[in-house]
Amino acid sequence: MKKHFYEMTYILNPVLDEDKFSEVVSHVNKLIEDNDGEIVDVDEWGVKKLAYDIDKKSTGYYVNMYFKAPGETIDVVERNMRIHDDVMRYLTLKYDAKMMRHYTLAQKGELPALYEETEEESDEDE
Amino acid sequence: MINNPSHPKKGHLKSKDCKFTKAGIEYIDYKQTDILERFINDQGKILPRRVTGTSAKHQRQLSTAVKRARFLALIPYVSENMR
Repeated sequence: MKKHFYEMTYILNPVLDEDKFSEVVSHVNKLIEDNDGEIVDVDEWGVKKLAYDIDKKSTGYYVNMYFKAPGETIDVVERNMRIHDDVMRYLTLKYDAKMMRHYTLAQKGELPALYEETEEESDEDE
Repeated sequence: MINNPSHPKKGHLKSKDCKFTKAGIEYIDYKQTDILERFINDQGKILPRRVTGTSAKHQRQLSTAVKRARFLALIPYVSENMR
């Protein structure tokens, strides 16, 4: 089966304790692996302040992960995310060639910085 | 306005070059909120490309990225002091 590269970010209820966070994270990882997926990277951003309140909560535990999986897996995972009480938000993105190049650059820490227009340093492009 | 050099708005117009094209950015990531924040105003609205000079291609990507970031509460839909 053809596997695609996906990125998923989800926000967990901040009321839970550390053990519960890792329990949910490993539950999600296991779910992906049980459905022919393979985890590439899991990055837990930890408790962050939300830009606006979600379910009357002003903070959330962010988890950002990358995995390879066939399309059918996403159905299963998203269904579970939707039902799961502790998951406040989730966003899954399928990576295309451009995003893959962006990802490999980001891994190497070579992302191009945004072009800055500064008055002092403008002599090099003149 | 564009042809009139004495127009009051003229001074606010910065260079018409797309900052993403110049930097060679291929994909605008919703996680890089520091970049996204430079293209929204203090209310949290996306700035039009006539102000920022972003290319059409990148403006489309930018708008998707901003909307994804808003969904995940990384940047506000409406900023706190406006509510």
